[in-house]
Amino acid sequence: MLKDQFPILSRQVNGKKLVYLDNAATTQKPQCVIDAMTHYYGQSNANVHRAVHTLAGEATEGYEECRKLLKERYNAERAIITSGTTESINLVAHAWGRSNLSKGDVIVLTEMEHHSDIVPWQMLSQEFGVELRFVGINDDYSLDMEMLEEAVKGASLVACVHTSNVLGIRNDIESLIKISKSVGARVLLDSAQAVPHELIDFKELGCDFMAFSAHKMCGPTGIGALLVSEEAFAEMSTFMGGGDMIETVTLDHSTYQKNEHRFEAGTPRIAEGVGWAKALEWIDGIDLENEHSRLLGIARGVAKGLQDLGMTIYSGLGDLDAAVVSFTHPSIHPEDFARLLDAKGIAVRTGHHCAQPLMARLGISGTIRASFYLYNDQSDADDLLEVTKLIVERMS
Amino acid sequence: MIWPEAIQELIEEFIEIEDKFEKLEVLMDFSSEVIELPSDEWDESNRVHGCQSQAHVVVTLEDEKVSISCGADAKIVQGLMGIMSIAVNGSTCEEVIALTPDFAEEMGILNSLTPSRSNGFRTMFDMVKNSVKEMM
Repeated sequence: MLKDQFPILSRQVNGKKLVYLDNAATTQKPQCVIDAMTHYYGQSNANVHRAVHTLAGEATEGYEECRKLLKERYNAERAIITSGTTESINLVAHAWGRSNLSKGDVIVLTEMEHHSDIVPWQMLSQEFGVELRFVGINDDYSLDMEMLEEAVKGASLVACVHTSNVLGIRNDIESLIKISKSVGARVLLDSAQAVPHELIDFKELGCDFMAFSAHKMCGPTGIGALLVSEEAFAEMSTFMGGGDMIETVTLDHSTYQKNEHRFEAGTPRIAEGVGWAKALEWIDGIDLENEHSRLLGIARGVAKGLQDLGMTIYSGLGDLDAAVVSFTHPSIHPEDFARLLDAKGIAVRTGHHCAQPLMARLGISGTIRASFYLYNDQSDADDLLEVTKLIVERMS
Repeated sequence: MIWPEAIQELIEEFIEIEDKFEKLEVLMDFSSEVIELPSDEWDESNRVHGCQSQAHVVVTLEDEKVSISCGADAKIVQGLMGIMSIAVNGSTCEEVIALTPDFAEEMGILNSLTPSRSNGFRTMFDMVKNSVKEMM
């Protein structure tokens, strides 16, 4: 069983079997990823790229394997390794935004964005006078495409969440890219929640930047990537200065690497790179499409069960959406709910999920969110519904 | 540590409850101990920072004795406020200042709460103690 590959899932929480349903926040790690990182530290630990000794060679090979696999899996020309989605987006804001945008230029965002795809642009806007335009969402949580068509007029960049971390909605990014490209705008996708659920062909998709994290797809925390098209890569200026990103340094000036290393100053996340490479290999052996349908089936059943218990559901659960069920109860506070679920060993998320503008649009302050991933099964869903029923009974 | 009698009793009551779910249910029952701060009086000046949910505390001094009125939207937070009310209400300023929120850990309720919530409880406690210090 797939579950057996995840040691954490056999532990108990508060005396109960752990039911882990906080996958949109982070996923658990299979034994092979844990082993790869342990092996790296136990046998190959060294700094990458410079030294000529054997360990340095092994470390470099392990780290660069991650980049190679990323490029292969997502069909991308450029893969800059970052600390995660947030750093990837900030990197675009700094390395591309600062050298390509000036006062009066327009960035288009949506109401559905995670704070990490709002705040960097607000900072840029405050510093450079860039205008931010926000595209709203319809009552079915889809993006208002008519509003988008208006908003992109004169825009330099469109930055959009690929799949919502709150609603699980997978946006029609193909249309978004087409509309944005028709006015010559660059497109950045926050694909943190999409990459774990679908295999994306970056080149075919035709966007310029795609940001995502390893830890949401069974890889380690602290590492992620920014995939970049060749055209956009050529427009990026250096951001962080330091070791590894240079070619030569004199007291007067420095010259920089031409490849992705230019944006990876300092010692990179080597063990995490090794771990992510293993996770990429591991996930390659999984039929994501099949798994996606299976998890959606479970999530739909949960949504129905929760509705029957009086919950309001804030999720799409369409065929392309992620298996995420966000819900609220008319009188029980989300935090009380999550705390009581935890007392029975069930891990869910509560709060605004780093998407306060979306919460404001929905007219709520927070939700309880159950998010499903590869190792979840029907028994997890049954446990969630059973304890939810108990909570509603006790709290009513 | 030797706690005041009322707190010692609370610790003993909670230690006996092994099941976390039950512990939280009992904690929520303590919301009835709270002198309620009406929600229209909730404002930035009495907000407890560090809580994910809404939590407000006002400290008053009557006949040299401390009294707190509290309001929160989550029932568990209300329960924590009830526990704090038992620990604080009717005590002298000196007694309140000498208290630490560690008794909640002994009761096993800080363990059963998220770090942010635990921090919230500590923040709530510090807020009360700071107000008392200002009033002295």
